[in-house]
Amino acid sequence: MLFASSIVRQLRKIAGRDAVLSAREDLMLYEYDGGVQRALPQAVVFPQTTEQVARIVKLAGKEGVPIVPRGAGTGLSGGAIARKGGIILGFSRMNKILEVDVGNQRAIVQPGVVNLDLSHAVAKHGLYFAPDPSSQKACTIGGNVAENSGGPHTLAYGVTVNHVTGLEVVLPDGRVVQFGGKPAESPGYDLTGFFVGSEGTLGIATAITVKLMRLPESVATLLAIFDSIDAAAQTVVALTSEGVTAAALELLDGWTLRTVEEAMHAGYPMDSGAVLLIELEGMREAVDDQKAAVIAVCNRLAREVRVAKDESERQRLWAGRKNAFGAVGRISPSYYVQDGVIPRTRVPDTLRRIEEIAKKYSLTIGNIFHAGDGNLHPLILFDSRDPAQMERTLAAGKEILAYCISVGGSITGEHGVGMEKSEILPLMFTPSDLDVMQRLHDVFNPACLLNPQKIFPMARSCRETNAAAHPAAGLAFTQGGPA
Amino acid sequence: MSTAATTASVFDELAAIVGPRNLSDEVAELITFDIQGTQSAIRVSPASAEEVAAILRVVAARGLAVAVSGGFTQQHIGNPPERAEVLLDTSRLVALDHYDPGDLTFGVGAGATVASSEQRLAEHGQFLPLDIAERERATIGGLLATNTSAPLRHGYGGLRDYCIGIHFVTGDGMVAKGGGRVVKNVAGFDLMKLMIGSFGTLGVITGASFKVAPRPRQTATFVCEFASLPEAIGFRDRIMASALTPIRFEIVSPRAMEYVAAHSDARDPDHYHPEAPVAAPDTSWSIVLTAAGSDAVLARYRRELSAARELTGSAEHDFWNGQLDFHANVAARHRNAMLMQLSVPARAVEAALAGAEHAAVEQNAMCAALGRAALGSLTVAVIPLSVDPPSAMQYANAASAIRASLPPDGSAYVLRCPIEAKAHFDVWGSTPTDRSTMLAVKRALDPAEILNRGRFLL
Repeated sequence: MLFASSIVRQLRKIAGRDAVLSAREDLMLYEYDGGVQRALPQAVVFPQTTEQVARIVKLAGKEGVPIVPRGAGTGLSGGAIARKGGIILGFSRMNKILEVDVGNQRAIVQPGVVNLDLSHAVAKHGLYFAPDPSSQKACTIGGNVAENSGGPHTLAYGVTVNHVTGLEVVLPDGRVVQFGGKPAESPGYDLTGFFVGSEGTLGIATAITVKLMRLPESVATLLAIFDSIDAAAQTVVALTSEGVTAAALELLDGWTLRTVEEAMHAGYPMDSGAVLLIELEGMREAVDDQKAAVIAVCNRLAREVRVAKDESERQRLWAGRKNAFGAVGRISPSYYVQDGVIPRTRVPDTLRRIEEIAKKYSLTIGNIFHAGDGNLHPLILFDSRDPAQMERTLAAGKEILAYCISVGGSITGEHGVGMEKSEILPLMFTPSDLDVMQRLHDVFNPACLLNPQKIFPMARSCRETNAAAHPAAGLAFTQGGPA
Repeated sequence: MSTAATTASVFDELAAIVGPRNLSDEVAELITFDIQGTQSAIRVSPASAEEVAAILRVVAARGLAVAVSGGFTQQHIGNPPERAEVLLDTSRLVALDHYDPGDLTFGVGAGATVASSEQRLAEHGQFLPLDIAERERATIGGLLATNTSAPLRHGYGGLRDYCIGIHFVTGDGMVAKGGGRVVKNVAGFDLMKLMIGSFGTLGVITGASFKVAPRPRQTATFVCEFASLPEAIGFRDRIMASALTPIRFEIVSPRAMEYVAAHSDARDPDHYHPEAPVAAPDTSWSIVLTAAGSDAVLARYRRELSAARELTGSAEHDFWNGQLDFHANVAARHRNAMLMQLSVPARAVEAALAGAEHAAVEQNAMCAALGRAALGSLTVAVIPLSVDPPSAMQYANAASAIRASLPPDGSAYVLRCPIEAKAHFDVWGSTPTDRSTMLAVKRALDPAEILNRGRFLL
């Protein structure tokens, strides 16, 4: 496809002279996300209004050019990459909080608002936005909506979809429509809920109505230290089945915690086999009760349970978890973060299995994950200069996901399918399941100009011939970045 | 071919799918499965998603329409069917798909009753956090299709928050699923959200998986009474801004309290007894909260809600069962009553309730209302005072007056009113969600429009 300079001219006319990038050196900044897959767009445009978005979408439709919405580019599955080229719609200039409605505990935001900025903006009202991906200092709420992002605290409060009640959406034909609003629900199909997590393939959210939650009265952060990873895993199972509703329950294995400790000095004991980072939130009395329950359960198998004495100690414990990926980056040239889900009762078996897989492929695999909801993030170290090692890394990643599915789990808990896992989606869904999903896709995006070649396997993708398509089999490569 | 001949040959085709014992065309039996005045010619009970698919393909090929039924507890909602030659009964779709108590996940066939599911979960001290009426009849599929809201929704979220997987068959007979059986999962489109609240118009739900919850070890309910609606709302606002995290948080209008079953001595406006004047009606608005937790947690509630009446044990149990029976009690005592389901943002609850009270009076009716005080999910009953049946116009006027008191993204649909009146006004009302997109979704999953035809808002 030849990208006409007239398209760039028209984009400038719509969004302004300074709102369009088309020079190769500028475009290169937009060819990747948090992973390593790359594809170069032909233009990047930064709209400032919904109306501009609609006009750009119409222009793309008229010219038959793909269009890919992009927030901060922190995604890990290639969702914001222009796989087929075309126009990237960057939302950095649509970053306004349009309304904070304290009484209704809602905010209406533009898609480019940074996740943590919203919580900061409403903190003075005692409120916050609950979904907290580790990239929350950078990632945008539009991106969170596209990926249905999670984070450590989604264990208690749910993922993004549980916090979105309304959307203004620009459809691929340029129409601007409303789904839902401020009420918790409305009669009719829940298109808001259906849209969240559709990875930018159904439409472009230009205004998002989110729930704001009240900041908890009390927070307790505990670190349970174990001699073996198995003991930590058994404790996760015990906490879940005893009905302890932690706000967050994170596991770091021995290798990972040592790597983190060397870089961050978070206070994790270097000689331990695994730690659990547990956070409890709520009414003071309820937190006290839960704290006692958690300590009792942990003490069955833990070497020691520490309770953060103050906010700075709490922050230090979390700094270890939230900066773990950076710490790993210090010691390995490359690493591959997987994102799989298993039933929580299977955490011990799965960790044993991952250890076997690491041995089988002669790889180092660290484990740091949202244990409370069974969302694994095995971290496979490799050297990208060594093709044989890269191949083994991919094979190990695929074997871990196959195991997740074999125990009734999922190939992605929060990173999305995107480009990375589109070829293995059929491991979870039958052809008939995928047919139904594609019919729904085609209701919104029949010409496949919006974020093409995502989610669905290439062989199914939009039924058009495409010279640029990779003959991808199995997992495509994604590397690094926060989880 | 005549209709009778068509029906006869369809009967044979359906019998070949489900076996001759699992369908019926006996008029005497079908009359008991009447949906708002419409009776089907054949009732068929499939035992698997594949059988459902085969049935739907036959129905579509013959140009017929199908009504889907669970426990018949919610069939009064929506318009009467445009037509429904075949009644697809889900009562044989009951297989337990998975139950992993350690993982707090549970999956079951759509025809399983809520009571049978609860029984299974109770063995491990767990439950579906959903307190609804008629649990012995209400089915899992029916809950999902109607997106039933219940008081526990305040603390535990709604079905869209804890349904983690769904199985269904589209109108043209495609067997499909979304989600899975783990608590966190973003693989593929979220078909659970699409099916929940779709009133059987996008597909026949055949099964679902849920996150379940440990049953709280100890609870107490606090009833706080106020002389006026603004005072009750003021108190609600203080609770919302406080550290308290109740699992139920309801507002109950003065008259609604009379229809909570525990109050058996309620006044009955349909009966005129001049020789026995009734007691003065209760005039107080109530905010009712349930707290769950240890002694220390309950003590905190007692301290902060010092003026409240506390209910525990069987009194608490009876109160909430009574609350669940509100709808049935109103319907049983006033066959002319209209019940509506309102959904508004928290700040609009006061105006919606005041609007409903006013709208009822204007139509010479009483208003009784209750619902989730902070979530804005309210059930409003408009109870005509006169013995003579009101005209359709009075229902229409009451509905439009109630809708006029809501903000633009608020909604109010009719849960129940006399069938004759339904033809004269829009029982669904407006929704903030784009209709043309909803319609396109409907056409994609039910191209021949055979599912619950004419009943929903599209």
